Amino acid sequence: MNAILTIAKKEYQLAMRSVTSYIVFVLFLVISGAAFATTLFKIDLAELRGIYSIIHLLFIFFIPAITMGSIAKERSSGTIELLSTLPIRLSQVVWGKILSAFLQVLTLLAFCLIYFGIVVVLGENIDYGAIVLGFSGLVFAALAYISIGVFASSLPSNQVLAFVLALVISGFFYAMRYLLVLMPLSVVRYLQFFSFEYHLASFSKGVLDIRDLLFFVAVTLIFAFLAEFNLQSKNMMQER
Amino acid sequence: MIEIKNLSRHFGALKAVDEISFSVGSGTITGFLGPNGAGKTTAMRMMVGYLQPSSGSILLDGKSIFADPIATSARIGYLPEHNPLYDEMITQEILRYIADLRKMPAARFTQRLKYVVENCGLQDVLYQRVGTLSKGYRQRVGLAMAILHDPEILILDEPTSGLDPNQILEIRELIRSLGTQKTVLLSSHIMQEVQALCDRVLIINKGKIIVDDEIGKLNSYFKDYQVLHLELEAENPDFSEFLEYHPELEILSQAQEGEYFKLQIRVPAELDIKYDLARFISENGWLIVCLYAQQKSLEEIFHSLTKEGIAVPEQALEPLPKDAEAEIAEEMSSVEDHEDEGEQEI
Repeated sequence: MNAILTIAKKEYQLAMRSVTSYIVFVLFLVISGAAFATTLFKIDLAELRGIYSIIHLLFIFFIPAITMGSIAKERSSGTIELLSTLPIRLSQVVWGKILSAFLQVLTLLAFCLIYFGIVVVLGENIDYGAIVLGFSGLVFAALAYISIGVFASSLPSNQVLAFVLALVISGFFYAMRYLLVLMPLSVVRYLQFFSFEYHLASFSKGVLDIRDLLFFVAVTLIFAFLAEFNLQSKNMMQER
Repeated sequence: MIEIKNLSRHFGALKAVDEISFSVGSGTITGFLGPNGAGKTTAMRMMVGYLQPSSGSILLDGKSIFADPIATSARIGYLPEHNPLYDEMITQEILRYIADLRKMPAARFTQRLKYVVENCGLQDVLYQRVGTLSKGYRQRVGLAMAILHDPEILILDEPTSGLDPNQILEIRELIRSLGTQKTVLLSSHIMQEVQALCDRVLIINKGKIIVDDEIGKLNSYFKDYQVLHLELEAENPDFSEFLEYHPELEILSQAQEGEYFKLQIRVPAELDIKYDLARFISENGWLIVCLYAQQKSLEEIFHSLTKEGIAVPEQALEPLPKDAEAEIAEEMSSVEDHEDEGEQEI
């Protein structure tokens, strides 16, 4: 089996065995469920756009919680020495970690499909395109956040620090939308490109713009590469 | 065949490993000895490619290990110093994980798993969580992981630390049997282990190799004399007559402790004077409480090579007289570093 898959499988299995994962999952679902129920029963609106933006906000906190240990823990427990003396590439380690976190987030999002079901049952004139694309937009955003989280985890050997770092970097991309209000218009044109919300907007409108897709893929690749570079630069074997 | 040439590694101003050169042939077990901070682990980490050398080269069959790190890693089995393991995993799982990462086919894994479980004594803990294992079992799991893929080169950083005496014997036996076909390099704090296991010993101190010799030849460094320890029930006995008769003897220390008199005599190795001495003592009506010739152990050699200039406490467990140590220091004048203040490593 490919080393990426081996690492991802092991990481995912261990995560599914740990109590922490379940606490994170339950918290996530309680908060998103409460938000969904509010729009559904209070505002009497069976739609998903609101819950999508809530889920996006939750990503900022929950994805760093999932990824914080990925490399920092290997480093603090010393198992990174084990991994880096095995015949595998460090990039495979990074991608294995990303894949495992991605599987965890997908598991989490799978539970959110129940909102989709409720809307289908209760709603009228449903724009399936917007719902499906909005959801896949979230999946791509999650991938980018995971890559950021794994990169943050590759910097310190302290997991809490890794969490804070991931929160700050993810927060930058998330909060860009709110910062833009304060910026001069000439700058906004360029800066809004870095806002995750800006790229997600067209997804949730049901429009698939290849540029938005490429943006998330590029962020994922850049941070995965930085994480790998970071691992290599810490005295590991050359050219792995 | 591993060749190390002028290998150095600096951490800032600290020279952890300083221009060391040696080679390890296949089918031999080489022991790496040295006090804490001597550079053993740093040197080993460079040999497995975990650390970059500041300068120098590490050649495996004539090719630099950094030329094709993946291929090199596939040939090396490595047990890191503190034996890091995934505590949440089950022993069998962690072995399977390593096998998968090493791309071992399932049939081969089954076969090798049987081998390592038998030889490392893992039957009882195969389905136990690694985090709950005792230190001895953890060490055995680490060793099992290192030899799982049947590597031709084994680099073991303190393989027997934390094991109980029986386990140590078992693991030594395993290493010895592996050493007949493979290249084994192990580091240890335990002198007896190196003496019992290794064909060759490398003593490293302050980043420099100070001894590189076959284990059997080590004693030749000290062949020329032995030290006799003598304890008598007598008050200030007079040995001058005996010493006149044996002018080649030298009293290293003497002290009256209560009703006992303690004496250390330096004796040329070829001379057996125990009978003469015992006869002389009984003729004078003194009572021998204790008489023995000090074993020339690796400890002694190690001590003198790495701790020169440090006064050995009077009540030290290994009674090596100060004077003798100074003598040894003179003999080993080629050794440069004299002021190792490190803790005792034995």
